[in-house]
Amino acid sequence: MARTGVNVLRRQREKEETYIDYSLIFVIFFLLAFGLVMIYSTSTYWANLKMGGDTSYFFKHQFGAVLGGIVAMLFMSYFPYGFLRKMAFPLYATSVVLLFLVPIIGKEVNGAKRWIIIPGLGLSIQPAEIAKIAVIAFMATMILRLQKLLLTPKGFGVALGFPAFLALLIRLCTKNLSSAIIVMGIAIVMLFIATPGYKRYVMAALSVLAFGALVVFIIYHAGANGNFRSERVLAWLDPQGHATGKGFQTLQSLYAIGSGGTFGKGLGESMQKMGFIPEAQNDMIFSVICEELGLFGAIAVMLMFLLLIWRLMIIANNAPDMFGALLVIGVMAHIAIQVILNIAVVTNTIPNTGITLPFISYGGTAVTFQLAELGIALNVGRNIGR
Amino acid sequence: MKTVKTKNVQKFTIGMKKKLVVLFILVLLAFAGLAAKLISITANNGKEYEKKVLSQQRYDSLTIPYKRGSILDSNETTLAWSEKVYNLILDAKVLKSDEKNVEPTLEALNKYFAGKMKENGIDMAWIQDYLEKHPDKSYYILAKRLSYDEIKDFQAFTASEESEGKIKGVYFEDDYIRRYPENTLACDVVGFASADNQGQAGLELQYNDVLSGIAGREYGYLDDDMKLERTTIPAVDGNSIVSTIDVHLQAIAEKYLKVFNEENKNQVHPGNGANNVGCIISNVNTGEILAMASYPDFDLNNPWDTSRLVGRPEFVEIEEKNSEGKTIVKREQLKDEKGNPIYVSQERVDEFNNSEDPEVVKQKLCNLKSLWRNYCVSDSYEPGSVSKPLTVAIGLESGKITGDEVYNCNGYLEVGGHKIHCHNTGGDGPVSVQRAIQKSCNVGLMCIANQIGIETFSKYQKNLGIGLRTNIDLPGEPKTETLVKRAGGQNGMTPTDLATYSFGQSFNCTMIEMITAFNSLVNGGKYYEPHVVKKILSSSGSTIKNIEPRLLKQTVSDSTSKKIIEYCNSVTEKEGTGWTAQPVGYKIGGKTGTAETADEHGVRNKREYVVSFMGYAPADKPEISIYVVVDRPNSVAQDNARFATFIVHNILTEALPYLGYPMTEEITEKDQKELDEFREKYGITSEQPKVEEKQEEEAAAASQDSEEKKEDTEENKEPAWKSFDVDPATGYYINPNTGNFVDPDTGYEMGASAFEDEGSDNAAKEATKN
Repeated sequence: MARTGVNVLRRQREKEETYIDYSLIFVIFFLLAFGLVMIYSTSTYWANLKMGGDTSYFFKHQFGAVLGGIVAMLFMSYFPYGFLRKMAFPLYATSVVLLFLVPIIGKEVNGAKRWIIIPGLGLSIQPAEIAKIAVIAFMATMILRLQKLLLTPKGFGVALGFPAFLALLIRLCTKNLSSAIIVMGIAIVMLFIATPGYKRYVMAALSVLAFGALVVFIIYHAGANGNFRSERVLAWLDPQGHATGKGFQTLQSLYAIGSGGTFGKGLGESMQKMGFIPEAQNDMIFSVICEELGLFGAIAVMLMFLLLIWRLMIIANNAPDMFGALLVIGVMAHIAIQVILNIAVVTNTIPNTGITLPFISYGGTAVTFQLAELGIALNVGRNIGR
Repeated sequence: MKTVKTKNVQKFTIGMKKKLVVLFILVLLAFAGLAAKLISITANNGKEYEKKVLSQQRYDSLTIPYKRGSILDSNETTLAWSEKVYNLILDAKVLKSDEKNVEPTLEALNKYFAGKMKENGIDMAWIQDYLEKHPDKSYYILAKRLSYDEIKDFQAFTASEESEGKIKGVYFEDDYIRRYPENTLACDVVGFASADNQGQAGLELQYNDVLSGIAGREYGYLDDDMKLERTTIPAVDGNSIVSTIDVHLQAIAEKYLKVFNEENKNQVHPGNGANNVGCIISNVNTGEILAMASYPDFDLNNPWDTSRLVGRPEFVEIEEKNSEGKTIVKREQLKDEKGNPIYVSQERVDEFNNSEDPEVVKQKLCNLKSLWRNYCVSDSYEPGSVSKPLTVAIGLESGKITGDEVYNCNGYLEVGGHKIHCHNTGGDGPVSVQRAIQKSCNVGLMCIANQIGIETFSKYQKNLGIGLRTNIDLPGEPKTETLVKRAGGQNGMTPTDLATYSFGQSFNCTMIEMITAFNSLVNGGKYYEPHVVKKILSSSGSTIKNIEPRLLKQTVSDSTSKKIIEYCNSVTEKEGTGWTAQPVGYKIGGKTGTAETADEHGVRNKREYVVSFMGYAPADKPEISIYVVVDRPNSVAQDNARFATFIVHNILTEALPYLGYPMTEEITEKDQKELDEFREKYGITSEQPKVEEKQEEEAAAASQDSEEKKEDTEENKEPAWKSFDVDPATGYYINPNTGNFVDPDTGYEMGASAFEDEGSDNAAKEATKN
């Protein structure tokens, strides 16, 4: 009896120590590999045109970033995540500093100043991506620190104030509204989970919706007199009417989705990537997936993301401690928000803001940090049952 | 154990777990909503968007032009060719893709093409404006049809270091432009092509299919899997044609037509020397046309130049309903109220050029069309006395006359109740057949025709191709069938018609018909289809097809031919009507023609004449023939064949030495003086052919030559009877004219034994009795 008990214990311990979420890892690697294939497919035309005939330019760069990201993921999955609690404020501070540096020493790509070059390494990073991981760690730490205080309006306000400041910085320093929205979104989702009650969130959601509707209404009636963003809204309402301006990208994306049909034109056979969807390897990559692989491929990709989110939820539910659970929820929120917003933009459900599709869209910093985040989630998962 | 371990650690609460599930459900709903949206886009707009995607693609993006084939003369001198030219294209999309390239590119365009672009009303400000307004347009033609010389500096600059690779969004598109290096030369024969490579007249039209190539294409298409593929099919260049026209001979002919015009213009009325002057020179033994010219001519490089209309009679198009109720457009000469023709003046041309009035534009087009007509092929007229040798040949060939007859000319003959006058109203007295030709005696000819009879005359006339198309390889040959009455039928030939037909009046024919018929009379009776193209070359210059002379039929026998030559040679003797056609140093034969004209209603005004001369050289053994027609010379007395004979004299005086014929006649000092004056006047610098020293030698050579030729012709005769039907019983050929058997080996005709001994005329006479 005792021997069997010891054996069971031993077996339990072995099991505990080697718990690895294989389905999560499978989904990650599937998405990475699929993303690389799609980047190669979408970018060859553009690369050939703009990169002096190097058709695999984007593929090679993304491949390097993915390898770097896997290393980051492995590192983070072994790095004791509890340490992040101590790192949270320095991370937050670092991203604030980096964001301040962007307008000063930032590198401009395609007319947007969002990158900072790390001297000596020849790498360029997006501080906004660092801010996303920073906000996850920071919010998890804050929520734990404030605890019951969160229930007071003041405490809640403080908990919301820090990410709001970061989001504002992102918006002001990098002119990147979408990253600001994502940062706020992550923070709100984490607070939503951490605090009991639905009322204020439902209220907040409704008021945001009402405000948005009001803005759209005003812009719609102001007509074309508005500024850059208002034209985006108008183009969203009537992409055909703005086919040569802001509506062009959206309209082309819709054409791509519509022309793909159920099973698509076949991998690599997209016509829309031939200059009609500019830089198809970026934000609009999902529309090319629809065109080449059809509804079937698109929904399969969405199911993969859903599976990923579901696995993250399982990890969060079984996390050994609150901090780990909050971290995983942050990661989950980040990925879910970005996927939903990206597909919503591509299908013209919301106005066009530049949001990339995680793991698939081209972008080195993004994929590296997203993989690092998943490393944290895997790390938390490894500690399940300890 | 677990609880123990995690006691001091904050755990995920049940409330949080619930909220997490709520969150997941929200995410799930969002995903489901987006999936629904995707499905709805595909289901509702799938087909429409698919079309949009396909319509955005450029399938037919580029047509690669072909090079139209050249037209060459018999020595392969170029008469028409297509020069490669370049269109300057602006690709605003490419240029605007990098703003820093805009300025250097525009500067370069301004430097190299400012003048050319100005022609299209394009300057730098315009381009700037265009770039602003159409930054996504990829194709705009800034300048058309630049030559290589005009673009090479720009291309060198673009390729050089100096431009720093900043010249973008400008490229050249190939095109071809039709060029006629000889301008007006042989304009009627060569014709011209429109800007889109469609032949409009002459050889350009007749051989349009040969000259045209196949345009290449660079295009995209959708394969079986709806996959867009791009393919380039290169253009296939057109074939070239080698004409029988000899540019030098053509130039000689045109030169003296112009001389004629200069000497005779503005004589009676302001205008050209004649309404039309046409000249054909052909090879009697092959049917090849060596020169075909008419005046007024036009510039092939600028066929719409209305200044060439000045001095021509003005034409109007009249729409008429024919008996079947169809509307037919007739072109008629414009006349004033007194019935005098109106000639195009400079003022009228100015009106043509400046007026927008559709009536005037129509008028202008009508007159230009008449200018572009090939008089030698398209216009019919009453040939006049030139057809007298035909009548005599019919008489001889049918055996109705022997050639020894003598007729008495009182100046007229009464036929069918009409007094038909001779050219010489005083009467020529007794005339032999030869003299009837020499003096062009109408009465003599009417007597001959009377002997021949309507049936025979009509049959032989048709056999000579009068009233039939020659099928020359030039467009616009009219149907002359209705212009010549045939024997029999209600509207058949009457005795009066027969009488007038004998000297070439009251029926119409074209120049090409007449010269083709005449050629067969002087070459031993072989009727060749006339042609102006002898070879077709591929675009790389290799021969694809040789067009051989086409012998269609035997019109008269060799002996008849010899007699006709004998008679026609007398025309150019001192007392003959064609004496003035004789070039210095040569003996030629021929026949003059002075024909009355009838207007549209058949009324003859006895003031307007078509004068002509049909000649051949050398006189003893014709090799080339020449036919000159002067349509209503600008003169008080139009009925003078000298208008035509002088032209023939001039042309042959220069042309025969050019063609390498040795002089056969003694040249007196007077002749030499005349020749020297002639050569000086018309700037002939080539060496005058030697007569004295070489004469005997040449003559000997010529006679030897002619003997050889004789043998040749006898050999050539074989196919004539070998082409007869074979009698199945005997294996002998049957002569279709006589019904006699012909020995297949020797060609000896049975039942025609008297043929050689008693003279061919008797034999032929008997033959036609059958």
